[in-house]
Amino acid sequence: MSRTVLICDDAIFMRTMVGDILQQAGFEIVGEAETGLQAVEKYRQLQPDLVTMDIVMPDMGGIDAVREITKAHPSARILMCSAMGQQALVVEAIQAGAKDFVVKPFQPSRVLEAVQRVLAA
Amino acid sequence: MDIARYAELFRTEVREHLAGIDESLVLLADGQNDGAVDALFRATHTIKGMAGAMGYASVEQMAHATETLLAAVRDSESPADATLLSLLYEATDALAQHVDDAVDGQAERPVSLALLERLASVADSLDGGRATRTTASWRVPVAELAMMTDVFPSPQAAEVHEPHGAASDTPPEPTAVQRVIAVTLAQDAPLKCVRAQIVIARLEQLGTVQGSDPSVETLTDAFDGVFTVAISSSRTEAELEAAVRSAGDVARVVVRAPELRRAVRDVLRHVRIDLKRLDALLDLVGELVITRDRLLRVADGSGDRQVMVAAQETSRLVSALQDEILQARMVPVGQVFDRFPRLVRDVARDLGKEIAFTMEGRDITLDRSMLDAIGDPIVHLLRNAIDHGLETAEERQAAGKPPAGRLILRAVRDRAAIVIAVEDDGRGIDRDQVLVRAIAQGRVERNITSLSDDDLVKLLAQPGFSTAKAVTSVSGRGVGIDVVASRVRALGGALDIETMPGRGTMFSLRLPVTLAIVRALLVQVGERIYAVPSAHVLEALEFDSVERLTLRGREAVSMRDDVLPLVRLRQVFGEAAHDDAGTQLIVVDAGGKRVACKVDALLGQQDIVVKPFDAVRGATAHFSGATILGDGSPALIVDVGSLA
Repeated sequence: MSRTVLICDDAIFMRTMVGDILQQAGFEIVGEAETGLQAVEKYRQLQPDLVTMDIVMPDMGGIDAVREITKAHPSARILMCSAMGQQALVVEAIQAGAKDFVVKPFQPSRVLEAVQRVLAA
Repeated sequence: MDIARYAELFRTEVREHLAGIDESLVLLADGQNDGAVDALFRATHTIKGMAGAMGYASVEQMAHATETLLAAVRDSESPADATLLSLLYEATDALAQHVDDAVDGQAERPVSLALLERLASVADSLDGGRATRTTASWRVPVAELAMMTDVFPSPQAAEVHEPHGAASDTPPEPTAVQRVIAVTLAQDAPLKCVRAQIVIARLEQLGTVQGSDPSVETLTDAFDGVFTVAISSSRTEAELEAAVRSAGDVARVVVRAPELRRAVRDVLRHVRIDLKRLDALLDLVGELVITRDRLLRVADGSGDRQVMVAAQETSRLVSALQDEILQARMVPVGQVFDRFPRLVRDVARDLGKEIAFTMEGRDITLDRSMLDAIGDPIVHLLRNAIDHGLETAEERQAAGKPPAGRLILRAVRDRAAIVIAVEDDGRGIDRDQVLVRAIAQGRVERNITSLSDDDLVKLLAQPGFSTAKAVTSVSGRGVGIDVVASRVRALGGALDIETMPGRGTMFSLRLPVTLAIVRALLVQVGERIYAVPSAHVLEALEFDSVERLTLRGREAVSMRDDVLPLVRLRQVFGEAAHDDAGTQLIVVDAGGKRVACKVDALLGQQDIVVKPFDAVRGATAHFSGATILGDGSPALIVDVGSLA
């Protein structure tokens, strides 16, 4: 059975791109979220194997979403998707419980490496 | 153990921590509570551990009381008020005093019980008896841990290894072993400091991480991905290594036991050297450089191939040795900068000004002796900026500026030079007032109507001019700028001023990275040989090849559509009065201004060792130092800036 993924990003383009990379690697995209609040809610419903999380999103940012999710589900495997120059925020996300990060622009190989690490952790 | 041997080392290191404490207190006063309290706690905690190892009871007691208060401050998460701050300042001052007393071997003065009581009572009022302090986990940089094991191998020092207070909650497994893990991240890894965090997070699952070097809290974009982690864990080395690698982007992992002295050395990579040793080493290598030049000349003259080859090889090695020693003398400017936040705060408070002070480029390195020499000039410029440059909050608001004056101390590398700038957004220097004053004192021609930045520097740098009352009270600048300028020139540097009325002023000190050995052009002027630092020499040419003219009664030369003032060095240096022997001209950069200097002859370039210059005032006007030439004869080093 393929691993399930929830993709959280407010840009359709980014969701599509991440989705394509993961789908080609055999993952099943079970849900998408456009805001931090949606991410928390969908995680609760879907309990995916992996979450990819954008940092800046409306409603609730990615970091707060990480906090909310890991509070309820300490074993959640969350991969942060960061733009350049968000170093401090990524640090915060890792401290909040995210397991790893990738930096935009995404290279599929790097994304998949990070995903493997997150799933192995 | 012979404790006395460590006393100076103890003092040096404690002073570094005290400087850090000063800086953190300023942050705390700014309301930047979190990081500052942590840093304060760590510093006092470390001092306490070290004092314990040395048996300095009063230092230990004072540090302990301060640490207890800081823990309460952190746990209460209440903002630091003025009372708390002044109490902390009082405690820090007392701590510094006890340290000096203890190290100097004076009878330890008893700790002020009143102060201890006040510290304790404020701590109690903050956290109601500090019952809550057990879960804190403080990280001590691994370099400090290594220092501790290396230098203070006493049982007391062991306390420092424990994360503070954590022992009762998570006792380390009985078989836990102390290890130091050196990690190198992949060169192309993005966000290396985040990756380092992940590495540490993975390690935390296997044991108690006691610290990292550099500590993760201080990592910046400039982090090169090389760090060490100290951990106490019962896992095998292979398991630890696998955990580190599982974090991703890891290029190299080495797990070691810190008990091995060699391992400690490798991880530590630093050793403290008495400054006098370093100075002696530099002096010796300076002599070696001089001898090398003589050897090369003798070898060339001998016509013996084998001798020439051996001399050249020796020459290459001496150059390499010289480079290494100069590198070893480089220290980050932060070591001097760190005492400025408190100074600025104190001066600002005394003068009733609001100042937002920032420092940039603390990691830039400078030669140790240079760094010692620029401390005072910087203090001067900072005081000047606060006293005269920056307005009061009311004046600023009336001028539509934010009430707090901005003051920036910045170090930047600019090719072979280091530029240290003190910049304010204050009222700027009133050129017209300076000009009026300068004309009144007969320092400039009456027909001059405006002053360039260069003119301004020159005027302010003239002894006597700057202290004139009218200038300081009206334009607000000038006191002691001449002192700063001459000090900077003596270091082979230059002082620049940029100022805009109402917008602010920036003083920049441009300094060579090292002052000890410079490349110089040797010139013959009259009976003597003089050294002109090559960095200032733009070109050399035949005197007869240029057109001479007279401009406003001054001699000048015309070169490629440019007119440069002509300076006859024989006259300036007081050599033989008649001036017909000279056949050469050198064009020098005198603080941004080109000047043509007539000399008798050019004798070639050579590395010279700058010796401190100690002559009567007046004689030094055109010289920044002296040197010994290859044949053993002395030569004066020309202060090119003074020729403009």
